[in-house]
Amino acid sequence: MVSTLWITEWADRDRGGMDADVGRDIDADVDRGVETGAETGAEAGVEPAVETVPAGSAGGGIMALSLPYQVVAAVALAVAGVFVCVHLAMVFLHVAPSNTLTKRHGQAVDDWIYPEFEQNWKLFAPNPLQQNVSVEVRAEVVTAGDGRRTTDWIDLTAQDAEAIRHNPLPSHTQQNELRRAVDFYLNSHSDDGTPNGTRGQLSEDYMRRIAMLRLDGLASLEGADVRRVQLRAVTRPVPAPRWSTEKNDHTASYRDFPWWRVTDADLPDGAARSRAEAAAPSRTEAGR
Amino acid sequence: MSGPSAPRTRPREPFDRRIARAVQAVTGRALGPHQTAIVRIGFSLTWLVFLLRELPHRHEMYGPDGPWSWELARRLTADNRAFTVLMWSDGRVWFEVVYGLAVLSAALLLVGWHTRAVSVVFMVGVLSLQNRSVFLGDGGDNVLHLAAIYLVLTRCGQVWSLDARRAARRSASRAAVKADRGPREDIAGPLLWTVLGGFLLATTWFSDVTGEWWLPVLLWVLWLGHGLWWLVCRLAPGEPRTLLDVLANLTHNAALVVIMAEVCLIYATAGWYKIQGSRWQDGTALYYPLHLDYFSPWPALSELLGASGIMVLLLTYGTVIVQIAFPFTLFHRKAKNVLLVAMMLEHAGIAVLLGLPVFSLAMISADAVFLPTAFLVALGARVARGRDRVLGRRSAGTLPEQRRAGEEHGPRTLVG
Repeated sequence: MVSTLWITEWADRDRGGMDADVGRDIDADVDRGVETGAETGAEAGVEPAVETVPAGSAGGGIMALSLPYQVVAAVALAVAGVFVCVHLAMVFLHVAPSNTLTKRHGQAVDDWIYPEFEQNWKLFAPNPLQQNVSVEVRAEVVTAGDGRRTTDWIDLTAQDAEAIRHNPLPSHTQQNELRRAVDFYLNSHSDDGTPNGTRGQLSEDYMRRIAMLRLDGLASLEGADVRRVQLRAVTRPVPAPRWSTEKNDHTASYRDFPWWRVTDADLPDGAARSRAEAAAPSRTEAGR
Repeated sequence: MSGPSAPRTRPREPFDRRIARAVQAVTGRALGPHQTAIVRIGFSLTWLVFLLRELPHRHEMYGPDGPWSWELARRLTADNRAFTVLMWSDGRVWFEVVYGLAVLSAALLLVGWHTRAVSVVFMVGVLSLQNRSVFLGDGGDNVLHLAAIYLVLTRCGQVWSLDARRAARRSASRAAVKADRGPREDIAGPLLWTVLGGFLLATTWFSDVTGEWWLPVLLWVLWLGHGLWWLVCRLAPGEPRTLLDVLANLTHNAALVVIMAEVCLIYATAGWYKIQGSRWQDGTALYYPLHLDYFSPWPALSELLGASGIMVLLLTYGTVIVQIAFPFTLFHRKAKNVLLVAMMLEHAGIAVLLGLPVFSLAMISADAVFLPTAFLVALGARVARGRDRVLGRRSAGTLPEQRRAGEEHGPRTLVG
């Protein structure tokens, strides 16, 4: 069905993306959040309406109008009121767990929300991510001297971590780019690595281009012609706290992506330029 | 502030009378002038800091040849119909123009220059860049995205803006020269309107690749509305103008309610999902983000904080309690203010500990909508004094906040 397809296209939530383990759902009935006009409104004058608003004397407001204009204003008031209620209801249903209403009218909610009002506030919830996911890459390169060889695994996430360390203002390119790209890849692929629809394809292209951009900056591959690349995601659980009695498994688990042939479309020229431009400041950041 | 005792001290007002007063209040004034101004300042500052910080990385993030290339973005936006003017052309020049305009609009919105028009450009900039590379964002980008849309509908330049200063000067000079109608005509407003009109034509021309239909429609409505306001102010300053003022107030107040509700939904969602997680239940949740490579810029500091199980427990439970309680405390002023301070401090902590300063600044900007007016007025006065001292100016003294809200409503749109 077209509609379900569309929902799955969006289901992995493109915006937001603080690390969270998406776990089980239970009902979180929080629609009190909707009725919030009270406080600031009170400070600013909604509630003092009970005492001090000089009706019409400010030369404005509905009281200052003659009847025909009042009708227009009243209609506008009604429209605004309805619009606010509908919008807030839609946003509420969008952020609420799947429930009777969204199961029945999910399509209407999605039509209203996507793409501009999409939001995800499961910040480190229900559980914070408890493992470090590293992306590593190796490449099959051809060099003038010794022909075809395969490089060792290069840890791209470690480059990010290095750039973030002691950096008071990390860039999105360091903190979000690779982290969210691999999320996107894993979300848009089934466990055996087959892409789900166009988004799966897009995420493969994206991963490849990120990998090529990062490899491009490596001195060890200077002058080498990269023919194929392979990525893998390495998941290492965060060790349990020292003060905890818990024991957790420290062993890393690996998920290999397929070997990909590199084409011209995977070489991000412009980005490489921007890297070079950025190299000077980021080096001083690391030096501090 | 009236406080809960106010209704008791006077005879109970009939219901219809109270309704009438409420209607007059939401149509007669744009409520929360200081709150909307601080939200405007907060978010424009956030976006400005972000854009300047990412200046060296801009090509990699949003440029046509970045890893998320123009072609990939085209394929995704063709599917999700997100609004972005960057799909108009894959040229580098166009990209630089859009990025430059985004920076400029953030700076201008910060100082409140032709706020209503600039807020629209600001929104277009935010949406265009964020939707161009949606997989780069985090929660901070998400809240900024929403705020940029909602701010367009508010009169967020009533105080603490160049607009407010201009309006104050105009009403002062009008008082001085009673006979003179309109001392100096503002050229910038109509000029801006004309330029944006050209831009709007381009948006319509490219509407196939710009996103969903309703955003260009909204832009047209806003543009025509600004033009109408200008005309009405000059040709029909009586009732028609009051009506337009009523409509603008209504829109503002509706948007303000939505912004406040959004903030509550953010905390409610964040809190209620957390209590379902085992790590938030056993009080160890905070320990884990502190040990993620991507969120530990200061490993020694993270180590220090994570070393004490009791400390982690207190902060973990505290976070959940504050987030869940916040929407309910809105019914009690003092409790709300205490929690507001707690949340802002927590975000300040997150900025440093987890290395998320831009995210934190965005969240603090959103929280600011709930700051009490008295505090904001005092803050404004203090900032103004500080500014005067730095600039060696003598304080104007009479109008600490430049222009009192709700008094004489001068034209507040771009052409005003």
